[in-house]
This record gives sequence, structure tokens and C-alpha cells, in this order.
Amino acid sequence: MNLSQQIVNGLVLGSGYACIALGWTILLGVARLVNFAHGQLYMLSAFVTWYAMTRAGAPYWAAIVIAIVVLSLLGALMQLAMTRLVIEQNLTSLMIVTLGLGYVIQGGGALIFGGNPQTLSSVLARTKVDAGALWFTWQDVLVLAMTFVLYAAVWLFVNRTRFGSVIRAVAEDPRLAQLFGINAKLVYLGVFVFECAAVALAAALVAPRAPILTSMGFNEVIMTFVVVVLGGIGSIGGALLAGLGLGMFIAFFGAFVAPAYTTAAAFGMLLLLLVVRPVGLATK
Amino acid sequence: MTAALACSHLTVSYDGNVALNGVSLSVGSGQMIGLVGANGAGKSTLVNAVAGWSRGRPAVSGSVTLDGADISALAAHARAQHGLLLVPEGKNIFAELTVDENLGLVRAPRDVAGRHVFSIADVFNLFPRLTERRTYKGGSLSGGERQMLAVGRALLAAPRVLILDEPSAGLAPRLILDLLERIRSLVDRGLPVLLVEQNVKAALKVVDHLYLLERGRIIAGGPTTVMKSDARIVEAYLGTLAVDRA
Ligand SMILES: Nc1ncnc2c1ncn2[C@@H]1O[C@H](COP(=O)(O)OP(=O)(O)O)[C@@H](O)[C@H]1O
Ligand SMILES: [Mg+2]
Repeated sequence: MNLSQQIVNGLVLGSGYACIALGWTILLGVARLVNFAHGQLYMLSAFVTWYAMTRAGAPYWAAIVIAIVVLSLLGALMQLAMTRLVIEQNLTSLMIVTLGLGYVIQGGGALIFGGNPQTLSSVLARTKVDAGALWFTWQDVLVLAMTFVLYAAVWLFVNRTRFGSVIRAVAEDPRLAQLFGINAKLVYLGVFVFECAAVALAAALVAPRAPILTSMGFNEVIMTFVVVVLGGIGSIGGALLAGLGLGMFIAFFGAFVAPAYTTAAAFGMLLLLLVVRPVGLATK
Repeated sequence: MTAALACSHLTVSYDGNVALNGVSLSVGSGQMIGLVGANGAGKSTLVNAVAGWSRGRPAVSGSVTLDGADISALAAHARAQHGLLLVPEGKNIFAELTVDENLGLVRAPRDVAGRHVFSIADVFNLFPRLTERRTYKGGSLSGGERQMLAVGRALLAAPRVLILDEPSAGLAPRLILDLLERIRSLVDRGLPVLLVEQNVKAALKVVDHLYLLERGRIIAGGPTTVMKSDARIVEAYLGTLAVDRA
């Protein structure tokens, strides 16, 4: 087993986890909302992208845009249906409702797209980077670069712009925000649409790495959950670190211990870390 | 002349328990109106209903007009945008945002006709203390600084009317009159203010007109000079000796 190849694998896996978790980090961390349909939305985004490319003949970049638009609209509908629960910050009901919606999306996805594995092919995913003995593709490089760019952009937006302050204000106290003339419902709608658009972009970037299945949502939501909790709920930098860390852990655990138990091991690590450091990796 | 703010027959109940019973009052332009009453009398319930806002789930009936326009059907954020600015009791700033970020949340509207416009410099002139705290988080401010920030952000929204619910709560007694006098200086520049105050003695020094609320009803009201010697005010809030000293 080559050590530097495992580090590359860890970065590749980890940037994927971080990329997929971005929307939920903002949703949970900034607006304090949950969305357990996140994994199924990831699945749906991958299939919308696949459908646009294979059935409608759209180029890869156009399929990404289509997936983002479709998921944003779906997100807006979901949020409108949940508005009352959101304003009341009823997290338990939101958890159950989004979990239920996730299964509806999974069932709908299976009906529309069938139960067979499909390949979301991107040219970049088929081109290997010439780096001696190391094995990775240009798609991996794209995911890594986009993840850093997206995390930096979102961090700047949330912490350095007026809209970012508005979102943080609504997250802290949606009722009080109303007295500042802020339409809290509209802000929640915007954040949820961002979550869905971000998951669409992440899926279009990450999904070409492996065959896609309409049943893959659950595993994605679990991994995202681990990343967000590890990162220290709500911390943007923490989630990026946690995503990369989880990728490294899984790459090494899979290579040196047992590939079949990586998910269980990831949860073991989560438990251990939460016992040692209950606030997650975030340092704030 | 129409009042800057008027409410009529406001009735509010929580889970069927009536907390405010058919209250009507008005704030004229350039006037400072005081609202006093015992704990639980319904003062906060009244001003919150006027602003269309609550942390609970009140059932509200009655009407509210702002500069003559009926705003009863508007949501709280829309009333704020129309210039009805409430600084609520208790937590009234964002603890996780800095002073500058708190102030930056608010924007004056493009059309400022009928509004009392204050710049950020006006706010810092009024409360110089805030200048030294600009980069501090709201949560690290003292009680007095929080009230200054809460009033300051309301001013930046270019209010038609400002409502303050117990801005002196938690303040040292010597700071209370200081804060109220600063607010009075805004009224003297034309801003109508409705002030809920538990310190009746201090309120009487700054307001033009005083209402006394008891168990959800206004039981007395009139010009400050008259109310100063009203038996109910004297007995319950000032004590006989207090009047002589005042
Ligand atoms: N959110 C709420 N839910 C239920 N009852 C409330 C709520 N807020 C106030 N009340 C009740 O309404 C009455 C008036 O309260 P409040 O308006 O806060 O009085 P004040 O501001 O004069 O002290 C009290 O009996 C109080 O218990
Ligand atoms: Mg009160």
C-alpha cells in the first residue's frame, strides 16, 4: 500500500464529503435548521444531471445548471410547506418531516429513473492526471478546487456581507429580526434554496466518480451528518476540516484495516471525538 | 390633525385569557407619551400588539393606524419597514453580531417623506459610549450599552414613531434619567415616542402625557402636570412624600 496514494485518496474522498456537506452546514449552522432529506436530494440531483445529459443531450455544464434550477425550485416548495415549523424552530417535527420527504423523493426517484445503477459521465472523470504512480482524475482536482472556492466564498458571504449578518441575525432570533424590518420567512426560504442548490452542484461534481443508484441517498445523509457534527454544528471552517479528516480516516481505514466497516468506523470516530471534544472540531 | 400613532379597541388574549381589554390611545406628532402600570398589567402586551409582534401566540383584535394609515393587517417586519419601530422588553439586540453588524442590519427606506431620519453619526453623537464598542459582540455589552444599541438601530430605520418597552430595565438608577433625557432630546426634535416605564418618577420628568394601565385596561390618563398629583399615581407609585420632594 502506497502512503502518498492513500493521502490522495483521502483528499479526494474528503473534499467530496465536504462539498456535499456545504449546504447542510449553512442550513444547520447558520439558520439552525435540519434537512434529513439531504441525501435523497443529492441522489435526485445526480439523476437530474444524468437525465439531462443522457436523455436531453445537454452538455455537462448545462446539466449542472439544470440540476441547480430544478433542486432550487423543489427546495422552495419544501420550505413553503414547512414554513410554520421553521418559524417556530420546531426541530423535532422538521427532522421527521424532512426524513419523510426524503423517502418520498427516494420512492419518486425509483419510479422515474428505475432501480438500475447508472453512470454520470463527465469527460474529466475519465481523464487521469499524469502524476507518476499516483492515481487521480481531473474530476477529483475539480472537486477539490471547487470545494475550497465554495467554502471560502460562503465564509466571506456569511461573515463579511450585510446579507450574511441578516442570515446570522435570523438564525439567532427570528422573532427579534422581524422588529429590524427583516422578513424572516424570506430569509429561511433563501437559505433553504441555497442548501438545495449547493447539494445539486455538489452532486453534479462528486457523483461522476461512481455509479449512481436511487437508493444511495441514505448513505449520503449519514456521511453528511457525521461531517456536520464533527465540524462543530454550524462552523463553516469546521465542516471543511471534518470533511477532509473523514476522507483521510476512511481512506486509511479502508486500505489498512477493513474496507467493509468504514461507515461503522466513521461513527466510532464520531462518538470518540464527541466524548473527548463535545463541541466538535470548531475552535470558536 | 391625525395622530402619529393611534390604536383603538385593542384586545389581546393568550390561550383565551384576556390580557388587554379594549384599549385605545394615541401619540401625537412631537409628543412623548408614557405608559405605566404594575407588573403584568399588560403594558408589553399592548405595545407588542401595536407592533404586530410577540414571542408568544396572542389573539389580537382592534385597529392600529400610523400617520393615518391603517396598518392592522401588516406583519411585524412590514410595520417596522413602514416606520413603526418597537424596541422590545428584554432581549432586543443580537448577541452574536457586533455593534456595527447590529446597526448595519437596518436600512432607512429610499422614500423618507414623513420619517425622522437619523444617520449613524447622529446615533454615535447621542450615545458616544457605543463608538468605543463598535467591534464588540452584542453579548459582551453591559445592560445600558445594549439599550443604547437597541435604540440606535431603531433610529437608523428612520422611524415615524418610536416605541420603547422598559428601556431602563436593569439600569443603575443614576443612568435611568440620563437615558430618558437623551430620548427626550429626540422628541424635542420632532420624533413621537411611546415609552413604557416602570420608574414612574423618572417617566414623569420627561413625558408630556401619561397613561396608567391596570389589569388590561387604561384606568387613568392625562397631561403629566395633572397626572403628577393623581391620587392613584401618587399612592401606588410615588408615595405621598415623593411628590413633595419631586
Ligand atoms: N407570551 C405570553 N403568553 C401567555 N401569557 C402572557 C404572555 N405574555 C404576557 N402574558 C400574560 O399577559 C399579562 C400581561 O403581561 P405583560 O403584557 O407582559 O405585562 P407588563 O408588560 O405590564 O408587565 C400577564 O398576566 C402575563 O402573564
Ligand atoms: Mg412588560
